[in-house]
Amino acid sequence: MRFSSLLFVTAVCIAGLARAADVPPPLPPEHLKVEPLPPPGPHWVYVFDDAFYVETDDRVYLYDGDTHRYLGQIDAGYYAGFNLSPDGKTTAISTTYFSRGSRGTRTDVVELHDNATLTPLREIVLPNKRAMTLPSMFNVAYSQDGHFLYVSYITPAASFGVLDPEHAKVLGEIDTAGCVAVIPSGPNRVSSICESGRLLTVTLDAAGKESSRAMSDAFFDADKDPVFVQGIPMEGGYTFLSFLGAVHEVNFTGAAPSFAPPWSLVSAAEKGHWRPGGTQVGAIHRGLHRLYVPMHVGVEGSHKEGGTEIWVFDTVTHRRVARWPAGPQGSIVALQVTQDAAPVLFVTTDKSSLAVLDALTGQVRHVEKHFSQTPWMMLTP
Amino acid sequence: MPSLDQWFERSSRALAQRSSRRSLLAGLGQALMGAALLPLLPIDRAGRAEAAEGKKAQPAVNDPGSCDYWKYCAVDGFLCSCCGGTSASCPPGTTPSPITWIGTCHNPGDGRDYIVSYNDCCGKTSCGNCECNRNEREKPTYRPSRNNDLNWCMANADSNYHCSVSVLLGVAEK
Repeated sequence: MRFSSLLFVTAVCIAGLARAADVPPPLPPEHLKVEPLPPPGPHWVYVFDDAFYVETDDRVYLYDGDTHRYLGQIDAGYYAGFNLSPDGKTTAISTTYFSRGSRGTRTDVVELHDNATLTPLREIVLPNKRAMTLPSMFNVAYSQDGHFLYVSYITPAASFGVLDPEHAKVLGEIDTAGCVAVIPSGPNRVSSICESGRLLTVTLDAAGKESSRAMSDAFFDADKDPVFVQGIPMEGGYTFLSFLGAVHEVNFTGAAPSFAPPWSLVSAAEKGHWRPGGTQVGAIHRGLHRLYVPMHVGVEGSHKEGGTEIWVFDTVTHRRVARWPAGPQGSIVALQVTQDAAPVLFVTTDKSSLAVLDALTGQVRHVEKHFSQTPWMMLTP
Repeated sequence: MPSLDQWFERSSRALAQRSSRRSLLAGLGQALMGAALLPLLPIDRAGRAEAAEGKKAQPAVNDPGSCDYWKYCAVDGFLCSCCGGTSASCPPGTTPSPITWIGTCHNPGDGRDYIVSYNDCCGKTSCGNCECNRNEREKPTYRPSRNNDLNWCMANADSNYHCSVSVLLGVAEK
């Protein structure tokens, strides 16, 4: 072998050794496990997906607005209602199952899920009367102390069930004379909205049986300007928006509901044109006194159209403090705000996007496209 | 910083596809401009389609396959005419709901208002075709006789919602 050839072979061997030294060690074996949920963050949101195109497959997604991570899922059955317990530790799902998937024997049930593990804790089988309707906070709701759970029934006769969530029992059924929804209005009181524009309030005894009932004065006119049933939690009660933008604040801290003088989201010139709409028509930051409403230019019958803008109001002065345009054809169907000092506003659209906004400035921090199918309602603990 | 405006503009093209949006825009045109010019637009489009395809196309307001069909003025669901049925009949293998709610729709063809029964067809899972969301004179659930959010299959033996029909009951008395 000539010297030049020997030199070449030596160089190749040295290069090969150098490359071998550069190769990282093999990856360690992985061990399959179940990912635990992290400790609750300040900007977690529960997103209800009605899955309208395959409606026997509703679900609730848990999402972190800080890390922008999808954290997990709670299954929700068919055209479900959902709510959170007052301590935020439990998700209640009121739903229906068919014995053969999409058909067969119907079973109505309330399922309680552990929000620390996203696993079912227990269930309470209902009479087959559950109200199958759009999501609101009043299809299934806890009493303020978490002692009772109420479920709205519509067959279409209206009533509601009183449940004991601790012992997983149905305690009884209370007729509501045509009034609908279960609005927790005191430690042992439930209010329902009547066609007459009044609230029926039923007071329960310790066993969950009716002890008395009372009808309020009318606070809206269902013919002239109906209110959305999607009430918005406020300090001491709930706010109900009307189709034309009237704000009805109902205080439930007394023995009977009291009604503040209504105020308006719209000026005289805007009335009849700009309207609230969607499937979750408002959110309130109780500490900052901010009301967020998806607004659109609409007509009679457009009350389910999503917002092309978010209007922000001061609930003390009743003044509009911001308009955040959502584009000429945007459609915000639901929104929800966290209650901390640096709040996040979550927004969903009819194109199934989820947006995370700074609730103080409207700045878009993150967008999840195609987040779900029909994200119609959100709750924050 | 990206504004909400910019974000929505990026996805606005797809949003325009929904029929209910077209209905809203037609209504807005009437309300804001004081003229009924926009409803003519679908007719004009149909005329062009007819010339192009060599067959007679129907304007959307008279097309049972369109959410803009006059009889669907308060349908919120899937059109049975896209699911194997028609505007007034349920698809094969489904069961009509015996209970329902009643609305009133204006027929621009004869100038009359008609009472419409909005029954659901039941017993199979969501059809998923031709979603239509129109809500003229629709009211929340505290007025169930005028509400389209309720699953009107609720009293059926198989109460799974499949699609919705719009059955004419007669001319509305003035």
